[in-house]
Amino acid sequence: MAKQTVLVVDDDIDLVEIIRVTLEKEGYEVLDAQSGERGLALAREHAPDLILLDVMMGQVDEGFQVAYALRQSDATKRIPIVMLTAVGDRTGFSFDPAKDADFLPVDSYLEKPIGPRQLIDEVRRHLPARI
Amino acid sequence: MAPLARAGAPIPEASGHFVSAASLRKRADWFIRLRWGAAGAVAAFTAAAAAARLELPLRQLAAAGLLLLLANLGYRARNRATPPRDMADELLWVKLQMAVDLGLLMLVLHASGGVENPFQFIVIIHVFIASLLLRGGEVYRIAALAGGLYTLLALGENRGWLTHHHLVGAHAMTHETVYVLMSLGAMWLVLLAAALIGSQIMAHNRAIRDELLERQRGLEKAAEAQVDFFRFVTHEVKSPIVTAQSAVEAGRELGAGALPPEADDLLGRAVARLQQALAIVKDLAELTRGRMGVPAASLPVDLCLIAKRALADQAETMAARGLRAETDGLGPVTVLGDEAMLERVVGNLVGNAVRYNRDGGAVRVRTLREGRTVKLQVADDGIGIAPEDLERVFEEFYRSAAARQASTLGTGLGLTIARRFAERMGGTLSVTSRPGAGATFTLALPAAPEEP
Repeated sequence: MAKQTVLVVDDDIDLVEIIRVTLEKEGYEVLDAQSGERGLALAREHAPDLILLDVMMGQVDEGFQVAYALRQSDATKRIPIVMLTAVGDRTGFSFDPAKDADFLPVDSYLEKPIGPRQLIDEVRRHLPARI
Repeated sequence: MAPLARAGAPIPEASGHFVSAASLRKRADWFIRLRWGAAGAVAAFTAAAAAARLELPLRQLAAAGLLLLLANLGYRARNRATPPRDMADELLWVKLQMAVDLGLLMLVLHASGGVENPFQFIVIIHVFIASLLLRGGEVYRIAALAGGLYTLLALGENRGWLTHHHLVGAHAMTHETVYVLMSLGAMWLVLLAAALIGSQIMAHNRAIRDELLERQRGLEKAAEAQVDFFRFVTHEVKSPIVTAQSAVEAGRELGAGALPPEADDLLGRAVARLQQALAIVKDLAELTRGRMGVPAASLPVDLCLIAKRALADQAETMAARGLRAETDGLGPVTVLGDEAMLERVVGNLVGNAVRYNRDGGAVRVRTLREGRTVKLQVADDGIGIAPEDLERVFEEFYRSAAARQASTLGTGLGLTIARRFAERMGGTLSVTSRPGAGATFTLALPAAPEEP
């Protein structure tokens, strides 16, 4: 059985490494991209099972732009997206994917710092083990 | 001079004496009140002239007073009906009022002896009024209008173009050309001097005002830049802390079972301190936001509900340390405040009561209503606060020696933020304590008005 693939898009290379190590130990295959553009290309090429997307990369809303682009393409629009962000503390806003579905085209939202257990639980929630 | 803009309000561009049409209107309204007095004075003069049987055209005098009264009623009606919006509009009205005032004054003077009437110098008052309302050139124009009208009056009566009404006796100074010319000269000299002095004084005032406004603008800009910089700094500092914390946590997880217990304990301590650093950065960001003047809402909030939520948040920690919550005095009270700020304040007070309590102690939360003030008291059985530290606990980063000993993980900013938020909502936060026996924090806030 092929491993499930998680794509991590974040410009913090250390954070990407932490997520990779944590998820690989759990048996996932991890792809990573340090920019939104590269993330989109990898998503189209590999059709991962899940995408972990940082909200703030080069630009404040780069993550959102990537999410919209993913949702617009037939090849990627069904891939669940988990948004990673520290934006809530910075702006005082927080997002609720259930409430802000129109505005926020992602499946869930994790506030940094994210502990390993929390990360693994979140990934499993979206990717039930294949039988 | 118009009052300086309130701190925090946008500073308007200054032009003329007034920073806004509204402040010009305020001054014009003041002159409307003054004008009632002028109309009254004309009426009184007319009555006195009638009583003294002076041979003056009393009807003309009375008509002038009445016209002044009617004009003033008109100005007042206009000002009440039209909010001040356009500076040019307001200025036009003010000039119109001054021209009408001068015209009616000439009518009164003409009907009461012309150059013989010592009250002729009332003309000069109008130039001072003009210098309060208008700028340099316009003040001279009003002075010229006043002088011109007075010249017409004096020469007209002297030359016989206008009827002269004797004020006293039959000997009319009006027909003494030398006297009339000297009188004209004196009037013009004083009018122009008044215009010069008045406009100079006002220009000086304006310069002071403009300089103050300029400085205020500079200060606000500097404060804004500081806040922006600070926001940038907190974000930049937060990112590495967040990543470091995640790295240590992930490392602990990977090494679970394989790490020597001492190593795992050390990593646990690292995580706790990183969490503390993050909490400090977050508190600093919040403090900066509070300083920036993000407005506090003033809505009815049930303080009891907030307190119960804060206690629920601490339930796990309280159970672990054998603490009990005593909430007998906690009743539903509605205050006017900002829900998010109140959650922060009450959460901090309850959190402190838990953190600095002795094991097995109680956290007592109660509400009191005193007139229009609602109080929330949070008391604990903990280490308490030494008298000399009572006020210092609200200072930024101040943590008493006893507090440091009790817990290494505070930010030193919680009570600073709590007090600032309380004050922003129009309330106060104070503390009393018996060292070694606990502390009582009292949050006082304005009560919400009773439901009808």
